[in-house]
Amino acid sequence: MVGPVAHHFNNMAQQQASVRLGMWLFLVTEVLFFGGAFCAYTVYRIWFPKDFEAGSAALNVGIASVNTFLLLASSLTITLAIRSCYESDRKGLMRNLLLTTVLGTLFLGLKAREYHIDYQEGLVPGVFGYLTPHAKEAYEKERAVNPTLPETPENAFNENLKYALSHSKVYKGKPGEDYEPYRVQLFFMFYYSMTGLHVLHMVVGLGLLVWQMVLTATGFFDYSARYVYIETMSLYWHFVDMVWMFLLPLLYLAGPHTATQAMEQFQMAIGLGGGH
Amino acid sequence: MHAVEQHIHTLPTRGSTFTVFAVLAGLALLALFIGFSDLGPLKVVASLGCASVQAGVLAYFFMDLKQSDKLTWLCVASALFFTGLQFLFTLTDYLTRHLGVL
Repeated sequence: MVGPVAHHFNNMAQQQASVRLGMWLFLVTEVLFFGGAFCAYTVYRIWFPKDFEAGSAALNVGIASVNTFLLLASSLTITLAIRSCYESDRKGLMRNLLLTTVLGTLFLGLKAREYHIDYQEGLVPGVFGYLTPHAKEAYEKERAVNPTLPETPENAFNENLKYALSHSKVYKGKPGEDYEPYRVQLFFMFYYSMTGLHVLHMVVGLGLLVWQMVLTATGFFDYSARYVYIETMSLYWHFVDMVWMFLLPLLYLAGPHTATQAMEQFQMAIGLGGGH
Repeated sequence: MHAVEQHIHTLPTRGSTFTVFAVLAGLALLALFIGFSDLGPLKVVASLGCASVQAGVLAYFFMDLKQSDKLTWLCVASALFFTGLQFLFTLTDYLTRHLGVL
């Protein structure tokens, strides 16, 4: 079975080419969309390199590392799904789409855990006033030495960050000398907005994958020529993976990290102990 | 028949798909290795270089640019070109402001 060609196309090849072009045109707009965010990041990183380094040092690079490989694996499975559809292998197509969805969901799960850890550590920029118990204790010790400090800190984020970085096994910078905590908030604004945009794209992608699984179950992809729709989905999914390839070094690897620290951070994140 | 209609895509073999995946995984490990190293100012250059190679491999093989027609290549080139302009004009504006003030 070849599959239906819509009336406004000459033949299947033209229809398939149009489908691919449509997605590529959309991806061009996506490049410009993320490009704006990366451009703004570039400006502020050039202006405040040390502060961005400090902010990056406070992130959980263990989760980010595992997420990188989850996304790469999902790119593999969706590419295999194209072949399954082309060969009219409905079970293989469903399996590969499901695997892609599972891997993407695992990515989002770890991302959610990462955001939760960031919240627990009080690394949320702005004037929300949440001072972590550890940071409060450290501030009170500081205040005991320097009674001119106000009873409550001006900005909770600054104190939370200072505590998080002072207990980093890798980052050795000092507040006031190597970084200004209030400037590191700029980094975290970029971190949350850029990874948040990426998460949004992942969620949309997962929704589309589920839709394609439903279509697979109804026999829509039994026409092997419709593999081009899986291919179109894969273009979007690979693009989301591509964005992550740039987010990882710019956000997570800007500051000093080690492989040991990454492993410990990941173990801690999934509840197997470890430290910051 | 128009050129675009003659452009039939043949799917890559499973072996080549897994090979490309292995290359991408290797590049990801390299990216992490660079990230965990102390290269000073070269670190960001090396990291972004590695990310660009990864993106290139992903686009050329997994996104099937290898077999794509000229119109698709034009889309990619225009995305890169206009992003380049975006960076150029923004950076030349912002990086020439507030000189000596920050």
